[in-house]
Amino acid sequence: MRQAATHKQTVIEVRDLTMRFGQKLVHENINLSVEQGEILAIVGASGSGKSTLLREMVMLQQPSSGSVRVLGQEITRARESEILLTRQRTGVLFQNGALFGGMNVLSNVGTPLREHTRLSDRVIDEIACLKLSLTGLSPADGLLFPNQLSGGMRKRAALARAIALDPELLFLDEPTSGLDPLSADGFDQLILDLKASLGPTIVLVTHDMDSLWQVADMVILLGEARLIANGTMNELAGSKEPAVKRFFQGPRGRAAQASA
Amino acid sequence: MDKTAAPVRDPAGISIDGRVLYCFGQWTVRYLQDLEKSQARLRLPGSADITLDMAGVASIDSGGAWLLLRIVERFEKDGAKVTIASLTPHAAELLDLLKQTGFTRDKLPQLKSAPLLARIGRSAHEGTDYALNMLAFIGAIGRVFLRQLIRPGRIRWRQISDSLAEAGYKALGIVGLLSFLLGIVIAYQGGIQLRQYGASLFIADLVGLSMVRELAPLITAIIIAGRTGSAYTAQIGTMKVTEELDAWRSMGIDPLELLVLPKLLALIIAMPLLTVYADIMGVLGGMVMANSQLDLSFSTYLQRIGEAITLNSYMIGIGKTPVFAAIVATIGCYQGFQVSGSAESVGRRTTVSVVQSIFAVIVVDAIFSVAFSYLGM
Ligand SMILES: Nc1ncnc2c1ncn2[C@@H]1O[C@H](COP(=O)(O)OP(=O)(O)OP(=O)(O)O)[C@@H](O)[C@H]1O
Ligand SMILES: [Mg+2]
Repeated sequence: MRQAATHKQTVIEVRDLTMRFGQKLVHENINLSVEQGEILAIVGASGSGKSTLLREMVMLQQPSSGSVRVLGQEITRARESEILLTRQRTGVLFQNGALFGGMNVLSNVGTPLREHTRLSDRVIDEIACLKLSLTGLSPADGLLFPNQLSGGMRKRAALARAIALDPELLFLDEPTSGLDPLSADGFDQLILDLKASLGPTIVLVTHDMDSLWQVADMVILLGEARLIANGTMNELAGSKEPAVKRFFQGPRGRAAQASA
Repeated sequence: MDKTAAPVRDPAGISIDGRVLYCFGQWTVRYLQDLEKSQARLRLPGSADITLDMAGVASIDSGGAWLLLRIVERFEKDGAKVTIASLTPHAAELLDLLKQTGFTRDKLPQLKSAPLLARIGRSAHEGTDYALNMLAFIGAIGRVFLRQLIRPGRIRWRQISDSLAEAGYKALGIVGLLSFLLGIVIAYQGGIQLRQYGASLFIADLVGLSMVRELAPLITAIIIAGRTGSAYTAQIGTMKVTEELDAWRSMGIDPLELLVLPKLLALIIAMPLLTVYADIMGVLGGMVMANSQLDLSFSTYLQRIGEAITLNSYMIGIGKTPVFAAIVATIGCYQGFQVSGSAESVGRRTTVSVVQSIFAVIVVDAIFSVAFSYLGM
């Protein structure tokens, strides 16, 4: 299934990462690594710090201590000018979309292309439309403004923008929340298609048990301000550890496992 | 882009050799622009079958794949039969994925821009709409106000006192400083002229009357428009964007009652008080300048001020300010409600709010002056 790379590179490496907001400890001593072409899912209860961990990995939040290497570069103490190229090689889908309200969807998706390439406007619009079609929106939706979209459409448009530059590394914060079950399945398929054709490394935060079974190569479970477990979905579902069992062995977890 | 960090790569390109088109280089979005321009000039060697050989392509992304599809489509339209050779499995997957979307060039949506006449008509229509909506807004505020007068228990004292602190107390510094400086400037400019006629004492009349009747109310209104009116627009506008206004409505709470009326009332109370303060600071500014420029002692100046400023002038100055307050608060809140959708719209409306408030305040002030001169006041 995976690309036949001769030597697999480590794309993300997190060492002893600790994050505090004032007195509040979000997580402590997180260690993990993601290899090229792999899909890592981050799960955990609400407020367990998934989005925060993601923000630390996309260089938007400075951790309290520890180190993060992304695409071979140490980013925790890097200056903005040094990580510019790394930023261009990553795409991010934010939990609430974060579309630019002042421009229509087509311009939103075209923005990374317009900023970082010298293609003509016409071709940029066409590529943007392609990405919209990939994520399940119609080209005509491109003329709408973000405040005219439904929640699910906003997610898709934001995803289209995240993959505008075919990033090597893709961060997705709850991509399937707010999608109907059919679209969520379609989304899982899209992830697998992208992986087969462009082979990006993907880190996604999700609560969607079906997604976990369908797409995740590796899963990490956050909770109690630490990394509780780390493994493939099969390993975690069979785990004897109480905290892990509670998370994966609820009715939803078992239903998803049965259908996977 | 950082040239040292990025390895130098070959841009994408195509070379023609008989019926075979050899593709080479990086077919990725960053290296496509030359190919995009040159591919339109590619001419077929007769309308025969051709082969696109992809063996020389180092890497390809969806942008490159799209350009490839475009080229193939163009040749096929010219009647050629195109085969793509030496595709890597990844590239083949990618082409399939793009074809599956069913997107073709003619499906690109076009923005329709309205003809000139229609646009002129629309902007005129928007103008009258604006006036009507504004009237409706004022009417709605009036209705809420009456409702509260009938049931005083619903008056939101907390919000009013918060707004008073924000718009009144916290503006003391800037209003005081600017009025003081204004007093200095008037005394300086007037003093030069008056000294030539030996009429230095009348500097008190000049500073006192102009500050109290005109300048203190005006400068206060302008500061408040820039400081508080804009804040009202931004606050209400942001609440509209984040659907907070809808949240209040859904709980059965009228945003007019909760947000607008307290702000309006607070400003109507605060503005006259601020103006009194501005009067005092302006007169003091003039006093300092008169003392240092014209050697007028503080006591002489103050005594003359008492004679120069009549109660009538003073009340005219103060009397205008509640009207100014109502203008600034109404326009500020109204523009907030006009925000639609985006953060940009908040910025635009805030600008409009400040410009319109200041404009309206000055126009109304001029109307007051004309009216008072008719009445001989
Ligand atoms: N800027 C901040 N300042 C203070 N505390 C914060 C900040 N951002 C997040 N937190 C806290 O950090 C914790 C983790 O937040 P985070 O948004 O990462 O949760 P999450 O796992 O993504 O939750 P969800 O599944 O609901 O999105 C929360 O308790 C939150 O209150
Ligand atoms: Mg989150």
